[in-house]
Amino acid sequence: MIELRNVTKRFGTFKAVDNVSLQIGQGQFFGFLGPNGAGKTTTIKMLTGLYAPSEGVCLVNGHDIHRDPLPAKRSIGYVPDQPFLYEKLSGREFLSFIGGLFEMSVEQIRDRIDECIEVFEIGDFIDRRAEEYSQGMRQRIVLAAALMHDPKVLVIDEPLVGLDPRSSRLVKDRLKERTTNGLTIFMSTHLLEIVEELCDRIAIIKQGRIIYEETQNAMRRFNGQLEAMFLELTK
Amino acid sequence: MREIALVLNVKAAGFLKSALDFRVQSLFKNLSSLLIFGGVAVGVFLLSRASTGYLLQQAHIGLFLFHRFLSMLLYVFFITVNLGNMIVCYATLYRSEEVGFLMGLPVSHYKVFVVKFIDNFFYSSSTLLLLGLALLLGYGSYFSMPWYFYLFTLFVVLLPFMLIAGIIAVILLMVLVKIASRIGIRWLLAGIVLVYLSAIYLYFSVVNPVLLVQEVMKHYPDVNAYFGYLDPPFIRYLPNHWVSEYLYWTMSDDSGRAAANLVILLLTLGGLLVVAGFMAWRYYYPSWLAAASTRSQRGGGPGWLTVRFMSFGRPGILSRQTDALLRRDFWVFFREPSQWLHLLLMFLLLMVFLVSMGSLELRLSQPFLQTVSFLVVFLFDGFLIASVSLRFVFPAVSLEGDAFWCVRSAPVPIQKVYWHKFFASFVLVLFLAEILAIVSATMMRDNPVLTGVALLCTAFVALALTSMNLGAGAYFAAYRERNPIRVASSQGASLTFLAGMVYLGCIVMILVVPLNRYFEMLILRGSSAPEWLTLPVVAVGVLSLLMFFGSTSIGLATIRRDY
Repeated sequence: MIELRNVTKRFGTFKAVDNVSLQIGQGQFFGFLGPNGAGKTTTIKMLTGLYAPSEGVCLVNGHDIHRDPLPAKRSIGYVPDQPFLYEKLSGREFLSFIGGLFEMSVEQIRDRIDECIEVFEIGDFIDRRAEEYSQGMRQRIVLAAALMHDPKVLVIDEPLVGLDPRSSRLVKDRLKERTTNGLTIFMSTHLLEIVEELCDRIAIIKQGRIIYEETQNAMRRFNGQLEAMFLELTK
Repeated sequence: MREIALVLNVKAAGFLKSALDFRVQSLFKNLSSLLIFGGVAVGVFLLSRASTGYLLQQAHIGLFLFHRFLSMLLYVFFITVNLGNMIVCYATLYRSEEVGFLMGLPVSHYKVFVVKFIDNFFYSSSTLLLLGLALLLGYGSYFSMPWYFYLFTLFVVLLPFMLIAGIIAVILLMVLVKIASRIGIRWLLAGIVLVYLSAIYLYFSVVNPVLLVQEVMKHYPDVNAYFGYLDPPFIRYLPNHWVSEYLYWTMSDDSGRAAANLVILLLTLGGLLVVAGFMAWRYYYPSWLAAASTRSQRGGGPGWLTVRFMSFGRPGILSRQTDALLRRDFWVFFREPSQWLHLLLMFLLLMVFLVSMGSLELRLSQPFLQTVSFLVVFLFDGFLIASVSLRFVFPAVSLEGDAFWCVRSAPVPIQKVYWHKFFASFVLVLFLAEILAIVSATMMRDNPVLTGVALLCTAFVALALTSMNLGAGAYFAAYRERNPIRVASSQGASLTFLAGMVYLGCIVMILVVPLNRYFEMLILRGSSAPEWLTLPVVAVGVLSLLMFFGSTSIGLATIRRDY
């Protein structure tokens, strides 16, 4: 479902991502770990078409996101590390806007928004303008927006930052539920306990290179020792 | 003092870092800026010297009347600096995230105020300072003044004059923000616009240039006899009057009276600095808190403006993506008071311009004068189009802002987003421009050929200036800047505006000779000879299309950059 082939990203002479290759199959929950500045967000930005790779190919659902962006982007839902919204639009208007960009009909958008209100418990504030939202409210609206068009792949950069424990539980449950229905999730996070709880596979990136990758569903093997392994590998 | 110096040092280091960036792209940007700013400064210098020479040597208006005209020019300059500072100050002193950050540090709010005021003054007034300096050089060189005159006048007269305008702006702003916390920002902004328009109207009603010339000419050649009785009393309390008086007495070799005016100017500056310092120390923090509270209390619903047919969730006739982009732009625009208020102001200025045109006698019997009046009106139309484009089209890409990720990661071709912005802006600018062109051409001469030329050339100008502003806006995109006014007053924006002026200058050069021949045929021989105008209009079209293709390809290439 997701494939990165020898992907490199340079900013001037600096290599932010260096020859990264990954393959993630349908329905997998993939955890992408690494210390600050390791290249996680850069990789995600290449995967979602926000950055063009200097070398290599990013395939989503069989489409190269840079040569054939539209079908690839139709398959993706993206949650950025900072949940920026249009401050002057309400949550409902933002979701309608996103639905329009994904060419959903007015009726489909209405139904999906009603569904999102229920799933993400956003009914209390969805008609207020984003400029009045807290970080957690924004995060839930952005998650709802990413799932509006029922994507095949969800790319999430730090999904639980700013969420209270209840919202965090809600989001974790919804994501896990979606993977059982065939959604592929590519998640970057610093929260190792979440990785242990949710992910089927992981990769660790350091200084732009993949230094560790679990190729099979083997998360159970860590048995709570992921933190120790992470610290050892990234020191 | 140490904290102020530290923050200013950091800012200066940031500025120097970008100014001394020798990478090819930055070098190209900096060199282009230098070329265009330099070119315009030279143009203003030459114009200033030539106008001074023309008015004094050919029109024989006399030194006194010349300096009264200069005083009027300085008044407009003063209001421009004042208004510019007030608008940008609101963004820098009250909405900037940097202020929030500095307020969280153990730095007194008074020092934060000083840093942000200096930052703001140079940010919003540097282009005007450059133009002022060029005007001064042109003026001084006509009178063959020595080098120290320029240095002295720049630092001891022009800069204090501009500072007075900036300080008055910031004092008023602190008071207004406090009032806004009670009556709401929208009503307050509407009130400010009305007050400024009234101030300009009242000034020019009292200091009517036509009346001034008629009254002075009654006493000609004994003009000086009338000096003491001419000025309305309140004019003597305005800083523009002190500056023009300083220049007048300097040129009349009366250094005593020149110094007296200079002392009044500097004492006023000193007094205002004390008042501003006291007000900042006493009221800046409470007014900053009031502004933050006003912002957080805003809303409660999707907005006060309800236009049902533009609501999301209603079926439209356009494609789903275009429809979504259009509705988003509509609401984001009309829910931002600084956007719709500026648009309203532009419309008001347009009305003022059209009404003023109606009272002018533009049907002249001399071909050359008729050519000049046609081109002046055309240039003014062009200037208005350039201003509207700069203010509303240039920031269009930057205003995608931090939320641009949702468009960039959606299955929308990025060219579609660009073209959507272009057509939405072009339709609006073209509409305004053609209204101007029709009214101006009809008032000038009810001649279908001239109306056709005006309509075609204006459409070309609208096309070129819209595409130039959108393309340059994409090239200089500042996605982190939330305030459209700051985007439209950035260095890139000034550069684009000046490039637009150069383009308008080229059009005037293309049109001047053939238009003069056309008027000669029309006025002196009574026959219309449209063939004189065919080729120049084609040349204007070709030049505009070149601008359009060049700007659009730059815009399309840069909007695709990594986000």
